[in-house]
Parts: sequence; C-alpha cells; structure tokens
Amino acid sequence: MKKLLTSALFMAMASGAQAADDVTLQLKWVTQAQFAGYYVAQAKGFYEAEGLNVTILPGGPDVAPTQVIAGGGADVVIDWMPSALAAREKGLALVNIAQPFKSSGMMLTCLKESGVASPADFKGKTLGVWFGGNEYPFLNWMNKLGLKTDGSDVTVLKQGFNVDPLLQKQAACVSTMTYNEYWQVIDAGVAPEDLVTFKYEDEGVATLEDGLYVMQDKLSDPAFEDKMVRFVRASMKGWKEAEANPDEAAMIVLDNDATGAQTEGHQKRMMGEIAKLTAGSNGALDEADYQRTVDALMSGGSDPVITKAPEGAWTHQITDKALQ
Amino acid sequence: MSWVIFAITFWLGAWAVNARLSNSALVKTRGGRLFVPALFGITLLVVWEGLVRGLHVPGVILPPPSAIGVRIASELPVLWADFRQTFLKGAVTGYVLGCGAAFVTAVAIDRSPFLQRGLLPIGNFVAALPIVGIAPILVMWFGFDWQSKAAVVVIMVFFPVLVNTVAGLAATDRMQRDLMATWSASYWQSLFKLRLPAAMPFVFNGLKIATSLALIGAIVAEFFGSPIVGMGFRITAEVGRMGLDMVWAEIAVAALAGSASYGLVALIERGVTFWHPSQRH
Repeated sequence: MKKLLTSALFMAMASGAQAADDVTLQLKWVTQAQFAGYYVAQAKGFYEAEGLNVTILPGGPDVAPTQVIAGGGADVVIDWMPSALAAREKGLALVNIAQPFKSSGMMLTCLKESGVASPADFKGKTLGVWFGGNEYPFLNWMNKLGLKTDGSDVTVLKQGFNVDPLLQKQAACVSTMTYNEYWQVIDAGVAPEDLVTFKYEDEGVATLEDGLYVMQDKLSDPAFEDKMVRFVRASMKGWKEAEANPDEAAMIVLDNDATGAQTEGHQKRMMGEIAKLTAGSNGALDEADYQRTVDALMSGGSDPVITKAPEGAWTHQITDKALQ
Repeated sequence: MSWVIFAITFWLGAWAVNARLSNSALVKTRGGRLFVPALFGITLLVVWEGLVRGLHVPGVILPPPSAIGVRIASELPVLWADFRQTFLKGAVTGYVLGCGAAFVTAVAIDRSPFLQRGLLPIGNFVAALPIVGIAPILVMWFGFDWQSKAAVVVIMVFFPVLVNTVAGLAATDRMQRDLMATWSASYWQSLFKLRLPAAMPFVFNGLKIATSLALIGAIVAEFFGSPIVGMGFRITAEVGRMGLDMVWAEIAVAALAGSASYGLVALIERGVTFWHPSQRH
C-alpha cells in the first residue's frame, strides 16, 4: 500500500513536471525593455522552473489588451489601470493581480519656444495625446486643471505613436514616456534644454501603469489561481533580475524582438529608465496607489473616467501566495 | 436559449414568406420588390440579436443591434460631427479634387502621346503606394486636420478615375471620328460632342469605384493622427475604451454614407448616359 502511494505520488510529480501549464501573456505594446521582466523570466528559465510554458504576445498600435482578454486571446494582460478600470465599468470584469510598476513614466513634453513654462500656460495650446484607452490620465489632468479639451481651452490632437507633432511644431506639447518617446525627441536632435517636461508623477496626477490583469471569474478556479501565483512569482523574479542587470536584460529583449526594429542603445537606455519605475514594487499592489488612481479618475468633473468606485478591481490573493 | 429558438423560428418563417412571395405575382409590384429584400435585412438583424442574446456573446465581442441602435440614437450629435469632419470635409473634398484632377489629366494624356508615355506610369505608381505608408507622411505635410485626409483621398481616387477616363476617351471608333472630321470639327468640338459623351460610361465606372475608396481613405487616414473628431478617430478611440457599440454605430454611418454616395453617382450616371444600352429598361 505504501509502495503504491509513493509510486502514485511519484507519477503525479513526474506528470506535473512534464505537462507544463500554458500561460499566454498579452503585452501592452511592442517587444521592448518596458516588458524586460517577463522576457528575462522566460530566458532565464524562471517560468520553466515554476512548471509554466509562457507565451508572450507582443502588442502594438492596433492591439487593445482589454479586448484581447475579453475575446479569450490571453490568460493575463498588461494594461494601465485607468483603461482597466474603465473597461471594468463597461462590464469587463478585470482584476489587478500584481503591480510590477510602482511609478508612472508618463509625461507631457513641450518645446520651450512654444511658451509653455507651467501647466497654467496650456490654455490656448495644442497638445498631443494618445487615445485607445491611454487618454484617461491626460483627460483627468486637464479636468483637474479646469481646462476643457473640446478646443475652447486646449486643442487636443490624437498623436500617432511617435513625436512628429512636436518636431513639426504642430503641437506645443506631446505625450511621451520617460523611457521611450522622450528619447525619440532627443534623438531627433532637440536639445534637452529646449524642452520642458511635466511628469504626471510630479504633477500629482499619476495613475498606475503596467499591471497584470486577469478575468475575475477565472480567479475562483484553484488551478488558474495556482498558475497565476507561479506566474507572478517568476515574473517578479525576472523583474528584479532585470533591475539588477539592466544591460543584460536589454540584450534579452533584443533577442526576443522578432521585428528587428529595436536598437541596442535605445533598449539599454529604456531599461535604465524602466528600472526606476519598477523599483520599490515587489509585485503587490499598494492600496494607497490604487486609491490615488481611483480618486484621480473619479474627480473628472463633468466627465469622469469612472463614475463609481470600483469594487473587487484588485486582489492580493495571488501576490500574498506568490511572495510569501 | 429561448432567444436562439426565437431567432431560428423567425428566420425559417421569414424564409418561407420570402420564398412564397418570390414565386407569387406580388413580386412584380413595386411594393413586393421592396418587401423581399427588406424582410431579408430585418431577418439578419433579428437573427443577430437573438444569437447574441441567446448565446450570451459579450458586448465587447459583438454587441446586439439593439444596443447599436440605442447608441446611434443617443449619440446623434457626435455621429453628425464625425460625419461632417470625415465625410463632408475629408472624403468629399478629396473626391472632388482627385476625380477632377484625374479627369483633366486623362484629357491631357489623350491629347499628347508624350504625356501618355510619361503620366500613365506615374498614375500607376501613385496607385501602388500603400495607404498606411503615405498617410503618416501626408499628415506631416498637411497637418492633422481634414486637409491631410483629403490628400489621402485624392491619391486613392486618382488612379481608377484616370484609367477609366483614358479608356473611355479611346472608346469611339474610327468611323465616328472620321465623320466628325468630314464635318471639319475642331479638336474641342469633336471632344465635347463625340468623345466625352462616348467616354461617360467609363468615367462613371471610375467615379463609382472612387466613392467607396474615398470613404475608406478618409477613415483610415485618421488612424495616423487626427483632431479629436472624425469617424476614424472615434473608431480607434472607442475600441480602446471597449465602446464597441459606438464602433458599430460609426460603421453603420459609414455604410449608409458609402451606399448613398454610390447611389447618387449611379443616379447622375443614369441621367448623363441615358443613351447607353445598359440604361434602357
């Protein structure tokens, strides 16, 4: 009897090791150092060690992570909290299970010559903004400043995913990320001293960025929960590894860039900036940060991003087990 | 489940009615001719609604037509502003400019063999440019507003109209042109009295193809930077906001506008080429 049990146990363990659980992760954007932690976890075998077979799907301008997960195309997606909460209010029950990014990398970058020196100067200017779910932090900020975005106070442009409107002087300011588009402006030959930047973090309007989201109904399934615990544990290990060795992480990202569009210099620089944003997060969502994001989104005056405080939009269920 | 059964029952019933009608004398009347396709369209909507509700398809995958209808009704001012921006400003301006330029170019090409060898290949070249490549460039050149969208439309409609008009101008045969010559008609007389009228069926072919291209061009061009109004802008923005009912509302407006402009050009064609055998009923 004892022998039978041991062999059964042995077989169970063996099959557990063989049949790795599949996890599909949908990124918010193309393969770049913004997602280094996941690629590092993949390349260094952290996922494999947890018995996971992780597929990382790159995003792009035409990919809305919320829509991918709604269609069943991914188990877990990376999204920004404003977009995830807005989707939740629309009936797509997304839950934040981990928050690797502590700080926001979003900012408005303005040309000094356009006469913008402080947020008070935005009035009457043309500002470039990303849409497709990325507009919420900006709309929220303008609401807070009391500026209407319908053209009477500020004129809003839907900028493509580059900084051309600024370089062409079609806009006074454009949206940039500290780790990506800001450097495109610099690379285009604009001197940093000719630019004025407003970080959302400094203006007190920062909202939580890259977090991991899953569908609420799946969380009650113990098998799925276990899979996510292992996934988050390995991913956070990947992130801390990437923070410690940014140059190596950047090279791993480059190896995974199937398009060949990324360059070594840009990725190393990006990884350096990303490490500043992930520093201070062990993966568990800080409730205070969550509350600040929700307050910001609900304070939208006549046109708030979300109309009522979301319930159950985040959980420590996964991180508590993953990080113990 | 009852929704699915209802949808299937309705479909079978409507099918039976249409089958009966098509074989009866009623279909010869004007009312009967309209009723059959109308019932078909209504059935499509009912089956769509029934299946989406019955099978609990999430609204972000496919919203039911009723939700889209509610959205259209409640967002009429927004839809109108988008329509004005994209269709009336972008698409129509680009259509008129592009078709006009193509027509003039075609006459010039027809006049001079030199241009024929030089301009046609260029027209061909322009037509082969991928829209996703030129749209961002035109946005850089002409700014974010509707002017850059009109420029994209010009490029999209130019070639089909050009090629069709050039073919049309060659449509008269030797005998007809000789007859004009025996009356000592000048080039312009022969152009306006004989060759342009004869070219009209071809020209209208090009114009009809261009109507749908114009709308597609104007919408897609807005994906690459735009002001915060316009059908293409709304579609990209609402997809990210999970407002799929609004996306469908814009699609419905685009489909209606596209069909209406096609119908309008076809109607003008009927008046202009009344003499052509294809217009006899």
